[in-house]
Amino acid sequence: MWTEKYRPKSLDEMINQEEIVTRLKRFVQEKNLPHLLFVGPAGVGKTTAILALAHDLYGPEYRNYIMELNASDERGINVIREKVKFFARTAPIGDVPFKILIMDEADSLTADAQHALRRTMERYTKTCRFCLIGNYSERIIEPIQSRCSIFRFSPLSEEDVKRCLRMIAEKENVEVSPEGYDAIYEESRGDLRKAINLLQAAAAAAGRKVDAEVVYAVLGRVSPGRVREMIQLSLKGEFIEAREVLRSLLIDEGMAAEDILRMIYSEVMRLDIPERLKVRLSDAIGEVDYRLTQGSRPEIQLSALLAKLVLVGEEMRSGGAALD
Amino acid sequence: MAEQPWTERFRPRTLSEVVGNEEAKGRLLEWLKSWEEGIPKKRAALLYGPPGVGKTSLVVAAANDLGYDLLEVNASDYRTARRLKEILGRASTQQVTVTGRRRLILIDELEGLSGREDRGGVEAILELIRETRAPIVLVSTVYTALREAWEKKLRELTRLSLPIELKPIPVVEVVERLREIASRVGVEVKEEALEELAIRSEGDLRTAINDLEAVARGRKHITLQDLETLGLRDRQLYAEEALRRLFTAKTLQEARGIISSTQLNYDELIEWIYENLPYILDDPRELLEALDALARADIHRARAERFQAYRLLKYMFDELAGGIALSMERSQGLLRIVKRHLKAMGVPLSLFNLEERPEGVSIAPVKYLGGETWRKVHIAVRALGGSWDREGRRWIVGYLRPPRIALRYWWSRERRRILRSISSKAAVKMHLSTSRAIRDVIPILKVIFQSDAEMAKGIAEWMELDSDEIKWLSKG
Repeated sequence: MWTEKYRPKSLDEMINQEEIVTRLKRFVQEKNLPHLLFVGPAGVGKTTAILALAHDLYGPEYRNYIMELNASDERGINVIREKVKFFARTAPIGDVPFKILIMDEADSLTADAQHALRRTMERYTKTCRFCLIGNYSERIIEPIQSRCSIFRFSPLSEEDVKRCLRMIAEKENVEVSPEGYDAIYEESRGDLRKAINLLQAAAAAAGRKVDAEVVYAVLGRVSPGRVREMIQLSLKGEFIEAREVLRSLLIDEGMAAEDILRMIYSEVMRLDIPERLKVRLSDAIGEVDYRLTQGSRPEIQLSALLAKLVLVGEEMRSGGAALD
Repeated sequence: MAEQPWTERFRPRTLSEVVGNEEAKGRLLEWLKSWEEGIPKKRAALLYGPPGVGKTSLVVAAANDLGYDLLEVNASDYRTARRLKEILGRASTQQVTVTGRRRLILIDELEGLSGREDRGGVEAILELIRETRAPIVLVSTVYTALREAWEKKLRELTRLSLPIELKPIPVVEVVERLREIASRVGVEVKEEALEELAIRSEGDLRTAINDLEAVARGRKHITLQDLETLGLRDRQLYAEEALRRLFTAKTLQEARGIISSTQLNYDELIEWIYENLPYILDDPRELLEALDALARADIHRARAERFQAYRLLKYMFDELAGGIALSMERSQGLLRIVKRHLKAMGVPLSLFNLEERPEGVSIAPVKYLGGETWRKVHIAVRALGGSWDREGRRWIVGYLRPPRIALRYWWSRERRRILRSISSKAAVKMHLSTSRAIRDVIPILKVIFQSDAEMAKGIAEWMELDSDEIKWLSKG
């Protein structure tokens, strides 16, 4: 995959987040590291930065010195603790006296689990540095934050994203029209991983000649596209068909209801409807989001939301005040 | 020799043959083993759960496995305290039989004791439990809707004994068991028919086996159609009846009465209503209102089950009854929905004779349609779950369709297994969580695998995908 092929190997190759990169390089020079907390939206280089740092610090065999865990894939804090214990029980050979444990999606851990994690961090500080990665620093408990150097990653600029896409397109012999780049950027915004994935899928779909139309065609086939289709069907009043799409997302695509809901939310925010209505819908989406945690059937809850969208569509057509 | 019914013939002899309810199995076993170290605190275990999930089978199999001599009585057969004591009193004072085997007492059909008249019976059982030196297992069928009353009635008994709950058997496991039985008796049953039998049984394995036996009489091959001829359409009839009455109910009280008198259990009721609401309510506001009520009903259900606070179920029933029954005012039902779908396909309604018939909405062409139009109509009809009736030369869209959720999950289980395996490979290679891989990477991979063979080949090698996974991504 191009996201991996072109992932910067060394801090020197990173094209953005200059300030962060400079600070990280200093750690490499000193061969010392505090615990790190990387926060920022998806696809802006958080994982890349820590992998590149490890590469620069330990050399090409850096994989022997790091362990990657994803908090949302691990079964509970105890499993995590066991893995850390096993990993950190020995100091590495060489002139760097510690290993690095990378914990992605650390902000998905509950507060209790984070407290347990904090104790583990302290216990193994001698032989192991932690790099916690997440989207929001507010979701990381204060005691962890205060023990870490915090790095805030910002979304990539349009220019940076396009520069990177151009570089890849050139190396892969893909012709991309300016509108093609626009369309990819419009969909992915500052999320470079999404942008590169989209470029690769579009290049595959169109025999390496990519324009806006190809990008939109591909988008229609990936999940955000299906969610959009589902919302459009609802707004048109085709509830039964919209529900079928929902089922196929849940069952055939195996998507989590929470993920579908998140996409619905961002689609709704992009809809061309009165702002006041968006707030009302946001409230309804929030209610469903809460209910999903309560053990009710996700499909029924999401369907009720689709029915709400049917009504919005109906009222928009008739010019009435929806949902009042 | 007269043939035994299949439920007897295939009754499990050992615990390993008992289908499902692993947790209950473990708890019963653990409790029985604790008797080896002397008399435990709880001298009786109370196995309870819906009908046909294998409560008695579990006790019989456990006794076999652990080498107990089983003394079995039916609570309702010995309604007086004196009779029960006569039968069980002596047995319960001895841990072993004359032949040296340990003894296990099974009191079945506890639900047959009624609180008031059988006071003596309950008292006698309580006394037995307090004094017994041999393990006693009580077995009771509990219908979920009546659970509150049941708990109240047997409070004393549940306090003195170790409660062990048995749950309905999952569809998947019922299917497996039916398949096994079918192959042992040499009957070939189509997969859809097995699934239909399993789904209709609602986790009641005994009913499923009985139904299978009934259908298999005089047949060597069984298809989905064969089920229909055998009066197995009860669920559909119950559901039709309940939903029809529900939507004509005028008051909350009336609706509540309908809900509580239906033969469907509440899970089924929720699923039937959910499946069919959009085919009944064509007015968007009413559809929203009803779905909202259903969603709230399901929340009450989830809370009741999660916290085992079954008194909360009454709020669920209220939402189901009032919320849904009273939502229908302007909606005109399926006929209008059919018309809208035909119009959406660009088919003029003047080509047909459209009418409501007992079996559903009938769409009869009044003239020759031509292949193109026929196909369009067919697509619209299929989307609504209808079909072409060759003899009647018309399409029929039935009023109700059975819930499909469980079935669809079952059908796609293999797909989902492969999906999980691909996404965990992707997660490792691309430094992501598996759920993010499912969301962000899998769709991209699909596009690539379905359009660029060369690129796909490189990725497959890099990700170390096996041939099933490659096929999955390439087929979509």
